[in-house]
Amino acid sequence: MDAELTTEGTEGRSRAASLAESLHKGSSSKDVLIRKLATPALSGDMGQCLRVLCDYVGASHHLLARYDLVQEEGLDFVVAADWPFDLVRRLESELATSYSQSTELEKCLSVLQPKYAILPDDAHVPAGTSRQYCTVTLNVGRTRLALLLLFPQDYVLSPERLREVGLLAAYALSLSANKGHKSDRDFDLTDRELECLFWIAEGKTSDEIATILGISRNTINNYITSVMRKTATKTRSEAIAYAVRNNLV
Amino acid sequence: MATTTRPGGNILEDATWSGQRPVTSRSDIFPKLVSLQRSLNARGFAAFRVAGASLPHKRRLDPEFENWSSGLSSGREAFIGAYGDALLAHIETSTLPVLWSAEEKTSFLDASDFTPFAVQLQERLLPYSGIAFPVRLGAVGNGYVVFPTIGGADLPGELILAVHSRCYKVMTDILSLDERRAAPSETLSEREIACLQLAGDGRISEEIAERLGLSVHTVNAYLGSATIKLDSVNRIQAIAKAIRLGYIT
Repeated sequence: MDAELTTEGTEGRSRAASLAESLHKGSSSKDVLIRKLATPALSGDMGQCLRVLCDYVGASHHLLARYDLVQEEGLDFVVAADWPFDLVRRLESELATSYSQSTELEKCLSVLQPKYAILPDDAHVPAGTSRQYCTVTLNVGRTRLALLLLFPQDYVLSPERLREVGLLAAYALSLSANKGHKSDRDFDLTDRELECLFWIAEGKTSDEIATILGISRNTINNYITSVMRKTATKTRSEAIAYAVRNNLV
Repeated sequence: MATTTRPGGNILEDATWSGQRPVTSRSDIFPKLVSLQRSLNARGFAAFRVAGASLPHKRRLDPEFENWSSGLSSGREAFIGAYGDALLAHIETSTLPVLWSAEEKTSFLDASDFTPFAVQLQERLLPYSGIAFPVRLGAVGNGYVVFPTIGGADLPGELILAVHSRCYKVMTDILSLDERRAAPSETLSEREIACLQLAGDGRISEEIAERLGLSVHTVNAYLGSATIKLDSVNRIQAIAKAIRLGYIT
């Protein structure tokens, strides 16, 4: 079994071979792919998973990013990558911009749809790599991610395969997330606080929520004050906007 | 194979996703689901949306499209009763397809070459087996496409992957139709959107007025008219809706 995997691996790494395969065989290669992906996915080795997926789709480099963390300081948004470091740094601001400029609805409607873009002119790409890169967004639970792929020049991209790769990356992450490798941002809000936020977003007043939940309106107001403190927001409106933006309600 | 030469790479024609006739009404969705049902050799289908997104005990699965009754002895309610909670919990952390097997030992559903990427529900609660594909788009549009099956079946991994990818497409289509239908009868004006955006960013009316060079009363009037157009009872609900509909970020 190991030997078999190794030969397949070498074969897969040959770009020409995998291109021919994508155009002629197509189907049976998927079973091979799923088998190759299973082991690293079970052990939570996302780097290896992504290398397998890159081979399948013909990509030369991968960058899997926590799209929802990209606006924060630092490189925490990178889940796994074999992009040149300078390129990751250069693209960080582009990612943050595209994240903040698209609406939540646009984000929802573009899941698993490959998008193509050109790297900035001043970015340095590895020799033989196309300046065009591809982005596929995916969700695992409440976590939104983007898979960015670089391709060799003159490579033929298959949108169908790119979608499958996005889906398989989500599968692999689901497996490793279930093993507790990743923690989600819960903002440390309690169930009661979330419940209050939910009803406020539905347009209910403190008095109405007090009736619905059967607790006093002062308690409700305390919950909301506590939410505003935890989320560093100044008004009720901002707290709700924050909760909606972060998929909390 | 149609290949168009572009700088740096070629992109195959995207036949399955954008190449087809665009979906303009809900009646375009049904045939797509029927064709997925056929490809799985299933006995029906149902597309569910997750409603009441925020709180665990408020979440439920609402049917959007279904073709469930024919040949199935228990209704869709029985399915929700049996597996609804398990599916709702699953989609919060995972994108993996979910399988269940019927009470009768001769009827089962398996995906032996897709292990470990399919989750098998242990309890046998229904007279039929089936598969449920989770679709996680973000703040809105999440749900499942479910296919009940009869008899013993071992689904090929390749097929599961292809159908799951198309389920994403179907749920995305349903969401885009929904949002078009739910769009406010009068669209929001630029001023209304600007006021909502600033209110969502935590500004109080006085600050918005100063920022936009308006009087406080005008700002409140804009927020009031926006609230009516968004069919909301107060400005907080209007802000939540405006974010979900993509008017503000």
